[in-house]
Amino acid sequence: MMTATMRDLYLSDRMTMHQWREFLESQGIQEFPANEVEPLEETIGLFDEDDQLVATGSLAGPILKYIAVRHDDAGHGALFNRIVGELVSRLAQRGITHYFVFTKPRYIDSFEHVGFTCLARVERGGLLEGGMPGIDTYLETVRALGSWPASAAIVMNANPFTLGHRRLVEIAAQENEHVYVFVVHEDRSLFTTDERLQLVRAGVADLKNVTVVDGSDYLIGFAAFPAYFLPSSKDVIDYQTKLDATLFRDWFVPALGITRRYVGQEPYSPTTEAYNQALKAVLEPPTQVTVVERKRAGQEPISASRVRKLIAQGDMEGLEGLVPSTTRFFIQDHLAQLQMRI
Amino acid sequence: MDITHTATAGTLESSDIQVTLAPGGDGIDINLTSDVIKQFGDQIKASITQVLNNYGITSAKVKAVDKGALDIVIKARTVAAVQRALDIVDQPKWEVL
Repeated sequence: MMTATMRDLYLSDRMTMHQWREFLESQGIQEFPANEVEPLEETIGLFDEDDQLVATGSLAGPILKYIAVRHDDAGHGALFNRIVGELVSRLAQRGITHYFVFTKPRYIDSFEHVGFTCLARVERGGLLEGGMPGIDTYLETVRALGSWPASAAIVMNANPFTLGHRRLVEIAAQENEHVYVFVVHEDRSLFTTDERLQLVRAGVADLKNVTVVDGSDYLIGFAAFPAYFLPSSKDVIDYQTKLDATLFRDWFVPALGITRRYVGQEPYSPTTEAYNQALKAVLEPPTQVTVVERKRAGQEPISASRVRKLIAQGDMEGLEGLVPSTTRFFIQDHLAQLQMRI
Repeated sequence: MDITHTATAGTLESSDIQVTLAPGGDGIDINLTSDVIKQFGDQIKASITQVLNNYGITSAKVKAVDKGALDIVIKARTVAAVQRALDIVDQPKWEVL
């Protein structure tokens, strides 16, 4: 059997970068946009006796990226396992024991073979997770909050929680026995994850049949979606929304008995509009998707981006009628701090 | 004794097993991936459970990815994962094997 040698690849070196790209291109990975390549923290390679690159893989945070193995090698399964094993143990050294990979359909089986769980699979590829704690553990903790025969669900970033969000939750709470409100976990917003959760909880505290839950990594958790195997940004949005909706259908719906999903109407954001369409296509039936018209304040629909603009301008009076008092008090108390972050 | 944080040991290469331990669960809950699960699944789980019991661990979530490891390797990797999960790598318990 061929003995391959493992080495670190330093992509800042132009020759190494060239060799790495050439190898990936030969394996069908064609896209190397800066926003995908620059976040790579570590890249490893396996070389054969002739010092030819035969396998590679990279890490960007808890995400395994740009994994490829020369396909004509008889021992390509062993090479794949070595690459993934090494990346996983490097993550473990950093204290990361829960990780993800987006991959082409043909690699899904290989990842499952080394203990990954497929979270969602669509035509173009799949999202898998490895390590612990996994989605089962997450859903158990959500189930531990209470059990209801049927629930509605809303997913929101709530950056920050507005009267528009409030209305969406109110409508769902009136029409259903129980409602889960999942707050997107990804910490890339003006308001931190903890702040957004806190403001959603405060803003719906009077609605007794509503449970607010941290969406963890499983709901629109990946703003930095890999574009490298999809040609256009439209394809990326299409793929990402389908993947997200599929994950919701395959895991959240059965585990939590979700019969309806509520979304806000989005006249201005094509991404959100595409997302709402994908949700309908993937979830219906058995989970019904209800689009709720945006609440307006004056001529304009209420939106969190409008609130963030007012924060930037320091216009506290403008917030009247846009956010509940719980959110307004928080903004007043933390105005300088919030403005610093913008 | 309870596990306080997640820890892992082992590789995904042939003749090895990767064992990951995490806190939680009622009892010892083992999720095993192996090509020989039909023939040796119960035996692999028994070996892992035995090591955990020797450490006095009664509840834990375990994920094991087996690549054809021998029994002694399974036990050794489990020991390593436990030592890490309990933060006692500087005080090995020789008697658990």
